[in-house]
Amino acid sequence: MKTSVRAGQITTLLCENSGWKAYVEIGLDPALQGLDVQKIPCSGRVDAGLLLALLERGSAGVLVVGCPKDNCTYLQGNYRAEKRLAVARAALREAGLDENLVRLEFLSSLDSCRLRDAVLDFKRYLDDHSSS
Amino acid sequence: MITAVRKPFAEIAGMLAGREKVLLLGCGTCTTVCMAGGEKEVGILASTLRLANGKEGRTVRIDEATIERQCDREFYETVRGRVAEADAVLSMACGVGVQFCGEVFPDTVVLPALDTKFYGATVAQGVWAERCSGCGSCVIADFGGVCPVTRCSKSLLNGPCGGSQNGKCEVDPQSIDCGWQLIYDRMKTLGQLEKLEAVTPLKDWSTGRFGGPGKIVKEDALP
Repeated sequence: MKTSVRAGQITTLLCENSGWKAYVEIGLDPALQGLDVQKIPCSGRVDAGLLLALLERGSAGVLVVGCPKDNCTYLQGNYRAEKRLAVARAALREAGLDENLVRLEFLSSLDSCRLRDAVLDFKRYLDDHSSS
Repeated sequence: MITAVRKPFAEIAGMLAGREKVLLLGCGTCTTVCMAGGEKEVGILASTLRLANGKEGRTVRIDEATIERQCDREFYETVRGRVAEADAVLSMACGVGVQFCGEVFPDTVVLPALDTKFYGATVAQGVWAERCSGCGSCVIADFGGVCPVTRCSKSLLNGPCGGSQNGKCEVDPQSIDCGWQLIYDRMKTLGQLEKLEAVTPLKDWSTGRFGGPGKIVKEDALP
């Protein structure tokens, strides 16, 4: 994945069937400015190595957005994402870092407001825990 | 294939203490298949080590490479230069690969990142189970194709111990099938139950691990 993430920037990995469509609807919302936004074919495409590599390159945190549970276009992609985030969280704990630097949200293509709220909540969390 | 699992991170970090340039070397064969030491796992461990070092303010260079097999000399040629630059190689191969890497590069410290487990098969996605102990004199033809040395927790060759219940082994009734139940069921399916009446003589264990380090020389393959 090509990413030009800047240090301190939040990376969002948006499933093209849910999070990406929700993002496109309100991409100009001020709350969503300054993000490193990446469209991915499915949240199941995300693996632990990618999440850790993004953090290594300077991401403040990585927000993965997949389809609602039991409503994945590829049936089980979001469940796979859940397991892979668990692997990344375990690796972060081992590295002595905050495991919540990676976060997974499930929402539909219509949930633009929920996407904005999720981003804002993640920003708040990272701001509050920026020293860890 | 040979199966393995990654060592605890703290143990790996302890082995690397004081090293400044480490090459994390994956193996593209068995440990890739059992998802313990392939390119993907190398990436995860390397990132974890770099993040941990960054957190602690240590400047350690962690390089990554994966070769096709660490148990064959020719595959090391592509990483020879990178090994020479490293203080240590952290191998994500099985114990064979770790040792052989040290034989190929005798002046380099080679450390194991994995705990090697057994010769196993992929019985389901993400599940591997032991099927062979490498005893050096295979007896499964006499047992319906099921190995009593490996599948029976006690390696009994003349019937079950009497400690199994409901087809499960007393060593771990939750997860281990009774090897002799498996043998009986398979031989019944194959119509070979009468073969079980034969008494199996004492097995010569010297052909395996108990005979010292094994070695095979195939004359027609020699240069």
